[in-house]
Amino acid sequence: MWTFLRRRIISSAIPLIVVIVGVFALARLTGNPASLYLPLNATEQMREDFTARNGFDDPLLVQMANYFGGVLRLDFGVSLRTGEPAGEMVLRAFPATLQLAGVTMLLAVVLAVIVGSWAALKPNGIVDRISSFASMAAASIPDFWLAIMGIWVFAITLGWVPTSGVSSPTSWLLPIAVLLMRPFGVLVQIVRGAMVTSLSEPYIKLARSKGASEVRVVSRHALRNAAAPALTVAGDLAVGLINGAVVVESIFGWPGIGKLMIDSILQRDFAVLQAAVLLTAISIFALNILIDLGYAMLDARVRPTTRARKRRVTPAAAQERKLNVQPTR
Amino acid sequence: MSSSSSTSANHKFRSPRSGLVGAAIAAGSMLILSSCAVANSEPSTGTTSADLVRIVLPQEPPTLEPCEANLTSTGVVVRSNITEPLVERNPTTGDLDPLLATEWEATGDTEWTFTLRDDVTFSDGTPFNAEAAAFAIDRAVNSDLGCNVEGYVFGDNDLVVTAVDETTLTVSTVTPDPILPLRLSFVEIVPPSTDTAAKVREPVGTGPYKVKQWDAGTKLTLERNDDYWGDAPAYAEAEYQWRAEGTVRAAMITSGEADLAMGLGADDGAGDLGLDYPNNETVALRLTAEIAPLNDIRVRQAINYAIDKQGITDSLYQGAHIPAAQLVPEGIVGHNPDLKPWEFDVAKASALVAEAKADGVPVDEKITIVARNAQFPKVSEMSQILQEQLTQAGLNVELKMVDTSAHLQYQLRPFVTNEGPIALLIQHGNQAGDAAFSVEQYMTTTGAQSVYGTPEFDTRLTDASVLTGDDRESAYQDIFEYQNEEIVQFAFIAHQTGVIGKAAAVDYTPNSSSGDELRLAEITPVS
Repeated sequence: MWTFLRRRIISSAIPLIVVIVGVFALARLTGNPASLYLPLNATEQMREDFTARNGFDDPLLVQMANYFGGVLRLDFGVSLRTGEPAGEMVLRAFPATLQLAGVTMLLAVVLAVIVGSWAALKPNGIVDRISSFASMAAASIPDFWLAIMGIWVFAITLGWVPTSGVSSPTSWLLPIAVLLMRPFGVLVQIVRGAMVTSLSEPYIKLARSKGASEVRVVSRHALRNAAAPALTVAGDLAVGLINGAVVVESIFGWPGIGKLMIDSILQRDFAVLQAAVLLTAISIFALNILIDLGYAMLDARVRPTTRARKRRVTPAAAQERKLNVQPTR
Repeated sequence: MSSSSSTSANHKFRSPRSGLVGAAIAAGSMLILSSCAVANSEPSTGTTSADLVRIVLPQEPPTLEPCEANLTSTGVVVRSNITEPLVERNPTTGDLDPLLATEWEATGDTEWTFTLRDDVTFSDGTPFNAEAAAFAIDRAVNSDLGCNVEGYVFGDNDLVVTAVDETTLTVSTVTPDPILPLRLSFVEIVPPSTDTAAKVREPVGTGPYKVKQWDAGTKLTLERNDDYWGDAPAYAEAEYQWRAEGTVRAAMITSGEADLAMGLGADDGAGDLGLDYPNNETVALRLTAEIAPLNDIRVRQAINYAIDKQGITDSLYQGAHIPAAQLVPEGIVGHNPDLKPWEFDVAKASALVAEAKADGVPVDEKITIVARNAQFPKVSEMSQILQEQLTQAGLNVELKMVDTSAHLQYQLRPFVTNEGPIALLIQHGNQAGDAAFSVEQYMTTTGAQSVYGTPEFDTRLTDASVLTGDDRESAYQDIFEYQNEEIVQFAFIAHQTGVIGKAAAVDYTPNSSSGDELRLAEITPVS
């Protein structure tokens, strides 16, 4: 396992560097931010001063070398917009996003497993039809519209929750409810599909014939085998949430990384943008490793033992394994 | 057969089921615990108390640095609340009112002398005197900090500032400047202990409030400065929050979560709680009058006739905006009250285009309307209407929506030059109260935001800039008339009206500068 982790970390470092270099170069291709930060009537001299003061007049490679030198010392530069260290701003915003995304995903997974399994018990039954319609709708409604309607109904008309902000525990309800919709909708469909397949497998019949209770059959036997595809999709959805609950954060005034990132893009606040991208990229790589580990727990075939990795799989052996193992997706 | 049961031979993993469940529980409880970190800042919902006024802004101030206070997002919090200038412009009368200076006069061609109050201290206890004023002006205007206010009101010109005695200050310029006191109304006074090597995020000033707490990203609280030299303001504390969406800001007023909501649009939903006020912003198309077909004045006139200004105002802004005939609205020195907006006449527009075409002007050449996303409410709808109306007049028009940074490349020198004729949708706000601030930028041949001019027009502009009193007023009035008759670099659309949401529990009357400088002392509880 440690070999696996080490390898994953090393192989993750390369895309990480590519991402950082890419963002660094692309951001600078959008032009000098001088006109955004200087008054409209700034003179040529003032523009030159600004450019020099912020090091934008150095060749791109020199700027990049300086930046990476700083990153190694954990110095991420200073925000053009606020004058604060970019690292501080990003670290301040990230937990807010992580909490929102974490709670949302946890709820989405739990709810989707319950609804999806229930629907799969009787394919085309009434529960299945309702859940299929509801999950389709949940996955398709734009979050912008949902957020505004949510505010209108629950904050203004009913007065149950605050419109926005983070001032009270109830302010969590609307953003989470809005964010929850898409992952929930998608996951219900995945769980339902995998469960329908699982429940029709011979080992379920075997379990039932042994006299296992229905709860045990569903949770212990079927769900275990249906969990792997759901986990993969849930991982992707979680990455989406961490990366940018931009719309939801903007509307609800949630002080998270998505809002910070979009503001830094619009304001060409390079240092903050780079720090934010770096941090989200690292966390996404970490998340992916966690997903792989979770996957390995669920499915022995992808378990990274040293022996398995060293052994060259012959076509015949692969064929044999295919025939040998229970189907998963 | 089952290769994934908990009896798997691989001992490097714990029982998968218990492992997963355990991890999920651990993750869940951690998240819920950590969520308290954000959630348990004290609740600010509930009823309004006379001790606290709650304001919601469109964006968090990037900084509270006073030398950047001419930026709306900073100035709306800082100006006249935390720090104060020597003199301030009365947004209603347009006159300069005394503040930290009691009197001022020109004491030479290039020198002004200010007499300062002797009873003022900064909120950190430092006394305010001529030396402090000189320090603050030097720091904002003559330093290497790159202050925004320096470029905004003074350009490259340095000032010579001298503290003659405790309460007397002289300020000298290189060339005569009849509106120096107006320019100085943008310079906020900070104590000599303020950092001169770097900008500060939380300043000390002489104003009625001081910074209490800034939870970056979440909210900013100011508290009453008990040593304030003037009348104590009504509210003990002011709390600022920020929401990017106008509808959400309006909703916070309706739901009782905020007392004032800034920068609303006409249909953000504030309803009866929305107060209209003229915000001094003017919207116009700026035409690249040196690139065919816009180099023919008839085509530029046709564009003016083709735009249904009243229709745009009525359909997009519930009639709240005023169709415009010039770059500055009523209330600004130099506004010409006799100018009427170009009449809306498609037939006339088409005829002018046809006439130009007959003379060989390439009217089929593509003209690009460039507009900035989210610059003001309904900007994309307005741009689409403009595109349609110009097309009706027989022109070939394309629409391009861009972000702020890209828009500035069209707006400021050096302009984008390789995209053919451009009609740039501009929104110009004259917050200084004098037409000079507008025409220097937008009308001189070499102005930073001007794409066209003539030597004769330049002479008129230069002559007007040194005049004072009624002569100045009428010179600028003539200039606006001349632009419409002979130059036609612009197709003016509307003088805008802003909307502020106001809860029933507070009293506040917005004025033309409310969006840039929201004076907390003018907000009072309804008794």
